[in-house]
Amino acid sequence: MILRRDSYRTVVVGGGIVGLFTAYHLARAGGGPILVVDSGFLSSGASGRNGGGVRQQWETPSTVRLAREAVHAYRRFGLEFGYNIWFRQGGYLFLAETPAELDRLRRVHDVVRAQGLPSRVLDAEGVAGLVDGIAPGAVVGGSYLRTDGTLYPFPAVWGVYEAVRSLGVEVALGVELLSVRQHEQRVAGVATSAGAVETPVVVNAAGGWSAEVSGRAGLPVSNVASRHEILATEPAKPFLDPMVVRASDGLYFSQSMRGEIVGGMTVPHAPGTARGVPSSPRFLTSMARALTQLVPRLGSLRVLRSWTGYYDDTPDGLPVIGPDPRLAGFVHANGFGGHGFMLAPSATRRVAASVLGESVDLDPAEFSPARFLTTPARAPVERLQLG
Amino acid sequence: MAEMPERRFRYAGRLRKARPGATLLESLPGAGLPNVVRSVRYHRPRAAFCGLGHCTGCLVRANGVPNVRACQFVVCDGDRVEPANGWPSPRFDLLGILDVLLPNGIDTLRGFRRPAWAAGAYQRVVRRLSGFSSLPRTAPRTAAIPPRSIDADAVVVGAGPGGRAAAERLVARGVRPLVLDRSLAAFAIDGADAIGGATAVFLPPPRTSPTASFTMLATTDDGGALTVRAPTVVLAPGSYDASLLFEGNDRPGVMTADLAIRLSRGPRGYPLRRAIVVGGGSRAAAVVDRIGSSVGAVVAPGEIGPEVARRASDLEIPLYPRTLLLRANGRRHVRSVGLRTRGGGPRFSLDCDSIVLAHRRLPNAQLFFQAGARTRWQPEPGAYFPEVTTDGTTTVPGLSAAGSAGGPAGGPAPDPSAAPELAGYYRELVREPRRGKWIACACEDVLLSELEQAVKRGFTGMEVVKRYTGLGTGLCQGRYCAPDALLLLSILEGRPAPAVGFITQRPPVVPTRLDALASLHGEFLAEVVE
Repeated sequence: MILRRDSYRTVVVGGGIVGLFTAYHLARAGGGPILVVDSGFLSSGASGRNGGGVRQQWETPSTVRLAREAVHAYRRFGLEFGYNIWFRQGGYLFLAETPAELDRLRRVHDVVRAQGLPSRVLDAEGVAGLVDGIAPGAVVGGSYLRTDGTLYPFPAVWGVYEAVRSLGVEVALGVELLSVRQHEQRVAGVATSAGAVETPVVVNAAGGWSAEVSGRAGLPVSNVASRHEILATEPAKPFLDPMVVRASDGLYFSQSMRGEIVGGMTVPHAPGTARGVPSSPRFLTSMARALTQLVPRLGSLRVLRSWTGYYDDTPDGLPVIGPDPRLAGFVHANGFGGHGFMLAPSATRRVAASVLGESVDLDPAEFSPARFLTTPARAPVERLQLG
Repeated sequence: MAEMPERRFRYAGRLRKARPGATLLESLPGAGLPNVVRSVRYHRPRAAFCGLGHCTGCLVRANGVPNVRACQFVVCDGDRVEPANGWPSPRFDLLGILDVLLPNGIDTLRGFRRPAWAAGAYQRVVRRLSGFSSLPRTAPRTAAIPPRSIDADAVVVGAGPGGRAAAERLVARGVRPLVLDRSLAAFAIDGADAIGGATAVFLPPPRTSPTASFTMLATTDDGGALTVRAPTVVLAPGSYDASLLFEGNDRPGVMTADLAIRLSRGPRGYPLRRAIVVGGGSRAAAVVDRIGSSVGAVVAPGEIGPEVARRASDLEIPLYPRTLLLRANGRRHVRSVGLRTRGGGPRFSLDCDSIVLAHRRLPNAQLFFQAGARTRWQPEPGAYFPEVTTDGTTTVPGLSAAGSAGGPAGGPAPDPSAAPELAGYYRELVREPRRGKWIACACEDVLLSELEQAVKRGFTGMEVVKRYTGLGTGLCQGRYCAPDALLLLSILEGRPAPAVGFITQRPPVVPTRLDALASLHGEFLAEVVE
């Protein structure tokens, strides 16, 4: 791989949905020439490994607003990018197993409602009406937003990839960022496995590898990569419309357009971001147990395959968006905690605006990387870290 | 046999009889190739292809359970079986019109986007067409089978010749191995324990502890599940017959040698009255041995070796070495095959009722990949084999290979005169004019033109093309499409096959029921995944 130029206006690290969308907004605003580097192949990271959920039910109003904007973007995606992502608005259903959990969902519902979205709180019967065959007594209720949904992640990546390339963005796959060259507290260039180039701006959109990338720029950060597993079953005729989510164990599952049940749950993993890490029997068996206990009629369905990917978690559960105060020209677009796909179209608009020096309508106290420099161990703010 | 009580079951509501111990495949009308399912996208007629429980050619709904493979399902009294995915039935399916109306296929990647207001309607229609059959209303009965947990000194997977020999070697060393095999047939080995009807589905890499031990997950045909812990694992999972790309390669009557040999044990007649055997090596010779008098011709992508030539000469079977298979004619079942001599020779066709693919055997290497054993590309037959030393040891301590899946070192030496040279073969084939659909992945109805489109748009490499086209994501998990797709991509992308990469093996090895996996969850609760 040989890079086409020796100088760029922006280098984006990470060719996943966040990096590509960032490049897209930048290129549309005339911010080129732009280089995107990714150490893997297209869709090799979390953008090709997620369950495709897109929801607007969040604890924090600012995240609800970002998510609502993302839903609008994904509804238009086919016309704008030429690929059909099959964004199906079958709703998101959060389950509550105890009255206390239902109270918590009610508070989320109030936040979502206040942003003008038609969220509903359901009793057990209402939940059973949405999940045909749910075990009796499994839940006391839930919250539901019918305009949430699921999409196919792959065509979304293809669409934005083709769009940025036609806008003149150079996407270098299989190219790793090695270090960031600095001059007088400013980004001056980067060294990559394909050679060194000059650039005044580096955007870190490396997902699970973002802490590593910041580290290579000499900037320690609070992001932690966490491994998550997911499985897909053989297809069955459609019987389930919403994405179903349970906070207590991080269980989530939906039925794809192809009829497969696709879902995951949280099991403890040792730290690390090695590629090609295999699935674990603990996940497969725990996930199977959770699914069959909740919806017993799934028992005879067969698991087709399982795989792993990385979340890029932050201490407070909110993404990191904006310039790093320690190094001018180093901009963060990471820490999405497994929700990069959900928020990418809207969050990356702010990233691009930040790179271009335009005003950004995000509260810096919530999203700026500076928040971890003053209080590294911030308490969780956005706790709906699932599905 | 005739005096034994027959099993009575219902198929599509009608009472039928089955021989005791017979599978559904043999007990349904259609002499081993019943039309029980249509393909998922274009509702093309399909029938059994592999006979091993991998392909999508014989799916039915049995006692409410979807995606049951008729070739693996032994009939019991009172079973209720329904065909899958055809309206009103797979034999006469009105949705088959989709295949006729869409000769170039549909484009789910870029199509169905306009007008924007119709997106919901498109989704509802496409979603209704997804899947093969419905889930049961309630939990299946077998959910309550208790799991087993077994500690063994050594475990041997596969009781074929390679596995048996490995088990006997262990016994001779004073080790008592546990032998697992998918088949139910008795395979007693002196000094060894054995579990039949058991399928190893997951072999994670051994834990990095001082007493490195393997934990293998397996399921049994009765719906149960077990874990086996052992410090030594010998994998002898054997090989299977590969598919081949040509127009109509998914038509009923096109089958692998695995299935043909299985069907040859049944009554003579359709679909093996006039078979075209594809291949020129020892596997093709074995097929000729089984069904000799009903072989119409032997056609080989490459040369035809002496084993086949001798048998063919005895039986006066015509031979067509170095020949391109262009097209299987016949919609509901194969009636003839269109051929062309390689190197620009004349086109011709041969009448037949079946096409038996015996040109290439590939290793069942999934468990080696799962366990983290290093593998090596073997240009002939075009597959990844585990790297082994002369005694079969892999790069994972405690894990060794036996039998044909261990590669040329473990099995019989490959027959160089019968090498199909598939890379060169496909280079010629892709230049041939095409009329209808060339199905590159039968489980998902992915066309060769979709692979070409992906590469043309810059989406290259096996992993990306898999995600772009859906090839290899169906029920067989790439067993039948990926090996050929790899060779084709190597040609389309103009780089060697190993550079194209391969589909990562994702557990489980074969689709595994959720209730069986769920029953094992207690075994792994204490585990923090490394």
